[in-house]
Amino acid sequence: MTLLGIYQALLVAGFQQAAQYRVQALLWMLFSIIRPIIFLAAWAAVAATQGGSVGGFTIGDFTTYYVCLTLVAHLTMSWNSHEFEFEVRMGRLSPKLLRPLHPLHYAVVDNLIFKLTTIVPLSLVLLGVVLTFGARFETQPYHLILFVPSVILAAALMFYVNWVIGTLAFWVTRMRTANTLFMRASFVFAGQIAPIALVPGWLQAMSYALPFWYMLGAPTEILRGSTTFEGSLLIIAAQAVWLGLSWVAFKFAWRAGLRQYAAVGA
Amino acid sequence: MTAPVVSVHGLKKIYRVHERETGLGATFRSLVKRKYKDVPAVAGIDFGIDAGEVVGFLGPNGAGKTTTLKMLSGLLFPTGGEAQVLGHVPWRRDDRFLRRMTLLMGNRTQLVWDIPAADSFLVLKEIYGIADAGYKETLDELTELLELQPLLHKPVRQLSLGERMKVEFAAGLLHRPEIVFLDEPTLGLDISMQARIRTFIRELNRRSGATILLTSHYMDDIVALCRRVIVIHHGQILYDGGLADLAERMAPYKLVGATLRGAALGQDLSEYGQVVSDENGQVKLRVPRAQAAETTARLVRDLGDSLADLSLEDPPIEEVIDRVFSGEKLADHADPRELAGAAG
Repeated sequence: MTLLGIYQALLVAGFQQAAQYRVQALLWMLFSIIRPIIFLAAWAAVAATQGGSVGGFTIGDFTTYYVCLTLVAHLTMSWNSHEFEFEVRMGRLSPKLLRPLHPLHYAVVDNLIFKLTTIVPLSLVLLGVVLTFGARFETQPYHLILFVPSVILAAALMFYVNWVIGTLAFWVTRMRTANTLFMRASFVFAGQIAPIALVPGWLQAMSYALPFWYMLGAPTEILRGSTTFEGSLLIIAAQAVWLGLSWVAFKFAWRAGLRQYAAVGA
Repeated sequence: MTAPVVSVHGLKKIYRVHERETGLGATFRSLVKRKYKDVPAVAGIDFGIDAGEVVGFLGPNGAGKTTTLKMLSGLLFPTGGEAQVLGHVPWRRDDRFLRRMTLLMGNRTQLVWDIPAADSFLVLKEIYGIADAGYKETLDELTELLELQPLLHKPVRQLSLGERMKVEFAAGLLHRPEIVFLDEPTLGLDISMQARIRTFIRELNRRSGATILLTSHYMDDIVALCRRVIVIHHGQILYDGGLADLAERMAPYKLVGATLRGAALGQDLSEYGQVVSDENGQVKLRVPRAQAAETTARLVRDLGDSLADLSLEDPPIEEVIDRVFSGEKLADHADPRELAGAAG
């Protein structure tokens, strides 16, 4: 048995399943585009009223930022906590726990399948936005290279944080509130409202200190080319530290949570 | 002597349940201070199962059967006590343990709903690391035993409940587990499908030598499959021994059947025992076990030629179980702790 073989089999089964729900996947993808596009439109309107720029950001800069942010949000998206609550509440976790494969792997495959099946239409939509609003990239080759580890770390960080939140379902049957709290915090600190350069100093400091920006804003800044080489490396190091901490938190929460699991309904 | 495949000592599971009182005031109070109650689902049980045994786990709803199976398969952590299954502590969920056992729950799906079972099987093949040759051999065998051929390539959601149960069985057995926990395997199935599943379980045990522990509400399942039963009630074991001895141990009475003719037709036999039924001269009497022989002798002596036929039998197993669970037997005769102690 190899993990590669297992992933291959799970991916084949997952693609077969996904093929039956193409419309749903496309709708989810469009849903994830709407918010950044609204922010882009809002900032473009503000910039237009202030002589074409806000805090040094032109409409082209905002377009670049939100196009990169949408792409990163898509690549790092994770929805395990929501699914996990359902699995615990309905006893669907039990069959997975009975098999010699950690339930986390099924979630990795689900995650990969959604991203792989929607990345092409998403890229086409984003290309349309780039051409319509006239994006302005300052990306250097080293940005593109460093973007790869940065976005992978961000996706892994988001994934593990989601699992930690999900494991709350072992203790409280409904943990959506915790998930909503996480989403709201992410909304404020991750760079969704505005690029980090435009937010007040105290918010900037908090964003750098908390993990949210490293899941979304950080790879976005690298991709759009706003960071120096050394700055990019520092960001990646911080991401690695947060990933390590989230992994430890997950291990701890999982072990403690399993002791609480009541296997209701199944 | 080989070690038992399952050995359980003082196994206990207590659920902590939030006690909800009625009324608005109580609801507000519970927001600040909650009251909890400990509910013992399994109250310290001991038993062992040897390799190749088929054991029936009997008990009413909420007796602790399923909780025990979930602990033995590693899904639940116990509150106390010890258990070893195939030499492993189940709730540590070691991969080497998970590869050697299966828990099948009637009416619960573990297959991917939208794709054919054959594709889900391929995923399981990889997860359990089953070699190609072994996989083909097992799948062919299961296909033959469960008549799966027409079902394998249909999406699982298009299968009927009975068909789905069959593919669930196959999915749970592809890795040739050495111990099989079955929780209500025939739940909701029609009579013919129940019979097929029973035949399959018996054949599985015969061919693979797998140890089987099953719970069922259908006594037919237990009678057809298990020579040994463990009766559990309120989380405690009331009886552990042969199915054949269950009635003798647990039912304090026997049933005397008398077929009357001639002058005796319509005669009241209540002086010989409690009349259970009386139809067209077929009288069924419930008599204390200790007096059964004497009662039959009296009937022969008193009724003479008017007695066309006479039979003496144990009460049906369903009736025995029902009396035990409803507390009738306990009130009539013995303390359950005595019974548990006396039982094998």
